[in-house]
Amino acid sequence: MPSEAVPALVLADVELRFPGLEQPALALASLTIAPGETVALVGPSGCGKTSLINILTGLEVPQRGSVDWSGTDITRLSQGARDRWRARHIGLVMQEFHLFPGLSALENVLLPQRLAHFRLTDGAKPEAERLLRRVGIDRLDQPVETMSRGQMQRVAVARALAARPGVIVADEPTASLDADAGESVAALLLELTHEAGATLIVATHDPHLVPRLHRLLRLESGRLKD
Amino acid sequence: MLRFIAADLRRHWIGALAIMLIVALATALGVLVTLQERALRLGSARSANAFDLVVGAPGSETQLVLSSVFLQPAPLPLMPGSVLAGLIADPRVAWAAPVGFGDFVENYPIVGTTPALVGGIASMGQGRGFARLGEAVIGAATDLRIGDHFHPQHGRVGEPTGVHTEITYEVVGRLAATGTPWDRAVLVPIETVWLAHDHDHGGHDRAAGEEDAHAQDGHDADHDHDQSADHAVPAAGASSPPGNPFLPGTTRPDQSGSVLDTPLSDQTVADPHAPGVPAIVVKPRSIADAYKLRQQYRSDHTVAVFPGEVLTRLYSTLGDVRLILTLIAGGAQALVGFAILLVVSVHVVQRRRQIGALRALGAPRPAVFAIVWGEVLLIAGSGLVAGFALGYAGARLLSIVVTEASGMMMPVGFTAADLARLGALLALTALASALPALFAYRQSPAAALRG
Repeated sequence: MPSEAVPALVLADVELRFPGLEQPALALASLTIAPGETVALVGPSGCGKTSLINILTGLEVPQRGSVDWSGTDITRLSQGARDRWRARHIGLVMQEFHLFPGLSALENVLLPQRLAHFRLTDGAKPEAERLLRRVGIDRLDQPVETMSRGQMQRVAVARALAARPGVIVADEPTASLDADAGESVAALLLELTHEAGATLIVATHDPHLVPRLHRLLRLESGRLKD
Repeated sequence: MLRFIAADLRRHWIGALAIMLIVALATALGVLVTLQERALRLGSARSANAFDLVVGAPGSETQLVLSSVFLQPAPLPLMPGSVLAGLIADPRVAWAAPVGFGDFVENYPIVGTTPALVGGIASMGQGRGFARLGEAVIGAATDLRIGDHFHPQHGRVGEPTGVHTEITYEVVGRLAATGTPWDRAVLVPIETVWLAHDHDHGGHDRAAGEEDAHAQDGHDADHDHDQSADHAVPAAGASSPPGNPFLPGTTRPDQSGSVLDTPLSDQTVADPHAPGVPAIVVKPRSIADAYKLRQQYRSDHTVAVFPGEVLTRLYSTLGDVRLILTLIAGGAQALVGFAILLVVSVHVVQRRRQIGALRALGAPRPAVFAIVWGEVLLIAGSGLVAGFALGYAGARLLSIVVTEASGMMMPVGFTAADLARLGALLALTALASALPALFAYRQSPAAALRG
């Protein structure tokens, strides 16, 4: 099921600084990612992987430079517009899942769309159910706090894809899982992104995951190494 | 969004419940003060309704009202019998009745009076009014029964007492409930009270209360036997109708038992030489008469007060007390409010990763604001409403206790002003809840991803 429009990234002259630090946390002259590409982002911890993800998803705005997704420079959007843009185009998978306890698997998958639009579109619920079955969650009404960590991350994968975004961004999706669970999450992430025709950007240390992605970006001290 | 709030509340139910209860208790405090003060005001005003004008010997007007209307035991100076006689004879007076106290049965005050008052302040519930010296009518809230016999005792149970064993009353009637302290009173003929106290202290003591009428009696230092005092005014006794053993100069039978069978006579209390009484309840024929009577009886020998007026003065004092209590309760409420605001804000800051995650996943800032605002308002708002309910329940409970103790009905109720206050408090809470919501609103979504 291909997404409506998979955006291409053109990033230019980006510099991100944190107060009190002399060196910029991130300094990238240019970076382009084509629609549908799968990209591994690697590097030692503290090298700026999370900062880059924050900038690509509009969670953080660099002091300098432009982050252009198919003609939309998200650094120039207002905060509200950036939130709306992210809700529409980005699916996030985070290391700590960030599922909300007390809600069922299905409710968690639908929560971002509920909060963004207040009301669900007609296809949203069937799509969420399909995705949950696809990631191997059979009890849709199971409260997430009763799930294993592997199951939780699979729910998070389903959630990232539920709104059919063009870009899936995952920050260490397998780092807090055991090998088997990590393997199954990695496989699902790749398969589902491929099925959706979306771009996939994964920051990871996982040696099993990196080789399965088309492209490797290596970051060191906030700069890209080839 | 509502599901999210509900799930969150369920997860943190202990904390939410604790905050709600603290808000409720702080609110209840203020509500209780307001309701109780209002109940006391309404209850006392209702109690004073039947008492248009009260006449007493010079002294504290407040004490006169407290003693005559609310039956608060206190030694009042006596007025000469001529005052009561004058009032009864006055054409501007519908009825006038003495109120004499000092004795108790169990913890109920015994009030010596005349049939005029029995009819004037309440209607008979059961039985009939007293017609003989040894008969009594009980208030609706006493636990005596018609047909019971009792001796009056000087002072209450637990206080140093003396029992007037020579007097035995028979209960012949019960008044309908009035919701006033008189529901706990036992009404007996004033003549019998005179008789009891004559037996007890002798005419000498009684004469002390009658100084205005019989000034010379007080100087009869050598005569401490009551007969001597009675004989001091033989001329007055000669005019008394026969069969009134408490009037000066009347020959008294040795056995009180037979005296108590004596039927009451209007003449006795209308006699200017009758013994003194501490207070007289007067029902004027018209409002104009009431003012004229008050004017006339405000003299060197007597005071005349409208209980309503004295109560109004008391209420203004009571209002000051309420103001202080309200300020204290309000201060406590404000402190609780600040403390809770702090706790909630800290809680919000502690959950910045979760809130950041909501944003990162695509929740717009207004949605995050609404979630935090709604949740805080829900907890604090339900605390406020519960506090009003709790304050009401507390005021009802207190009123029941007061009613048990005093017989005075304390009507507890909310007014439109209270609802306005609840609305204002809710609005204030809504405003204050916006602060932690604003913290959440300004939370950077990037926090979700930072380890």
